[in-house]
Amino acid sequence: MLKILICVLALASPVRAQDKPPLTVGVIYIGTANDYGYNRAMKDGVEALRKATGANVLEAENVPESAEAQRVMAAMIAKGAKLIMATSFGHQEFAFNLARSHPQVAFVHAGGWMLRDNFGNFFGATQTAWYVLGVAAGHMSKAGKAGFVAGVPIGYVIGNINAFHLGARSVNPKFQTRVVVTGGWSDKVKEAAAANALIDQGADIVTMHVDSPATVIQIAENRGVYSIGFQSIEARALAPKGWLTGLGFNWGPYMTETAQQVVNGTFKGKMVRLGLREKMLVVAPFGDAVPQNVRDAVDAAAARVADGFTPFTGPIKDNTGAYALRAGEKMENSDMGKFDWYAEGVIGRVK
Amino acid sequence: MIAALLIASVAAGTALLYAALGEIVGERAGIINLGVEGVMLVGAACACAVGAMSGNPYFGVLAAALAGALISLVFAYAVVDCAANQLAAGLSLLLLGLGVSALIGNPFVGAVMPGLPSLARMDALVALVLPLTALIAWGLWATRWGLQLRAVGENPTAAFAAGCNRRRLQYQAIALSGMLSALAGAHIALGVAYTWAEGMTGGRGFIAIALVMFARWNPWGAVAGALVFGGAEASQLQLQAHGVDVSPFVMNMLPYLLTLAVLPLTGKRGRLAAPAALGRPYRGVE
Repeated sequence: MLKILICVLALASPVRAQDKPPLTVGVIYIGTANDYGYNRAMKDGVEALRKATGANVLEAENVPESAEAQRVMAAMIAKGAKLIMATSFGHQEFAFNLARSHPQVAFVHAGGWMLRDNFGNFFGATQTAWYVLGVAAGHMSKAGKAGFVAGVPIGYVIGNINAFHLGARSVNPKFQTRVVVTGGWSDKVKEAAAANALIDQGADIVTMHVDSPATVIQIAENRGVYSIGFQSIEARALAPKGWLTGLGFNWGPYMTETAQQVVNGTFKGKMVRLGLREKMLVVAPFGDAVPQNVRDAVDAAAARVADGFTPFTGPIKDNTGAYALRAGEKMENSDMGKFDWYAEGVIGRVK
Repeated sequence: MIAALLIASVAAGTALLYAALGEIVGERAGIINLGVEGVMLVGAACACAVGAMSGNPYFGVLAAALAGALISLVFAYAVVDCAANQLAAGLSLLLLGLGVSALIGNPFVGAVMPGLPSLARMDALVALVLPLTALIAWGLWATRWGLQLRAVGENPTAAFAAGCNRRRLQYQAIALSGMLSALAGAHIALGVAYTWAEGMTGGRGFIAIALVMFARWNPWGAVAGALVFGGAEASQLQLQAHGVDVSPFVMNMLPYLLTLAVLPLTGKRGRLAAPAALGRPYRGVE
């Protein structure tokens, strides 16, 4: 879709009595920063960075995944940015192009794989953490059926769905997870229709992997079923009755540390995938509907995942009955993009 | 399953029907407006803004209708008074709408919206759409105003000779059309998605334009068309939720395959049904 409005806001930092001028950081977002979702989580991280380091922050919202992104970032560098954060998957190659021509500027990108001395990649290890949400769903669903609204069925999303489902099955071995793919990350009308369709099919818990959880959560709330959020944990404000829990990103510590590395001259581009243990991912506060015994079970599951537990340890059957992982086989964090199967009990097709 | 599918089709089809009704009124007056999508977005953004600020979704809907009419007047000035090319002016209206809606909606991203209250998953805009269709059909075919408006769309010179005020009628048609498109956007924002997101109408304004041809410029035809197109969108999601063993990628193609499938059907007879002076700038009587 056409992204018309690009607003670049220069936020002045508090003046500090120091010799060195503060670091200037440039951040680009794919959407609007306050979407109760992916971009909001990034924005919260940037705010934490700004508070902790007093950096100047240049921000641009609605930056498309096109050459436009490169122009926006180049303008930020021209304004003195020494650290660029490209926060959407499709910004990668454009940021990388600039990293090649600007070796003195540090770049970090969310969710990709490319690396250089001045170009790092970061993301949360969401897949294993989704297992924890599944445990909550397994306990809370009376029907034993959850609905999952998925944007685009790429490997990482399928991994999230599988982990959620395996978590639910660890509590209720007959658990069903129905998946509806909308075909886009931000088609609100289809997300609403998908959530309704899943509830029509008997799901009494709805969750999602799309850019903003706001629509799905509100549909669930209106129809009186439970919801589990993803991306930004602030979305719980939208469902005072039905919110169970959720998984949110907590980018602040990583972003702050990266900014400090740039200031100290110790920055080196690397691949960063951190999870619950490092608190790059956080399990959202529970909703009022969740009783204490379920809270304890979910907290225990979160502690296990933080200790290195992975649900992707064979034997695991896929939903056609074939073995996806044989006994002894295991998928590592670096394999999470490789899913092309749904676990047994997931109703849906990957392709 | 059938009941759920029907409810979902109505929910998806309502916005399409509002937008298509608006486009029918405009095209009956000889004005083809490709900017429907932009006006829908302005409607959605205003509905969210006023809805969130006032806490009352109906104020949001009213504001949307007003804003839709206002922004369409810019288009009306270009095509009615200045005889601008309607396709180019319509596309400009689309882009204008995208920008204006992003500007209006930006502070309300993530704001809690008061959704339209609904009874058995029907909100007021769903309930009003059929009476409105009847009103428009009656207005176009049973009143002097409608006769004159259609005359302008068929043959502006003859209409002029018969004493019709072409300028006023086309302005009225465009304003009404803008109002209806904006209501479509308001329904998407406050009746379906309960949130504002840039570009959230997702191309449905263009499907509405295709739907007008499918409906042969008849409001009741648009009702059938909206159910068919809304049904295509709803069924792809309902079928997936039901666990039908079809690739989700194929399902997502359904509405567009359907559009391509029905347009040839409307081909020849469709062209006959089109207002004769559709899209032609009127340069007065020599």
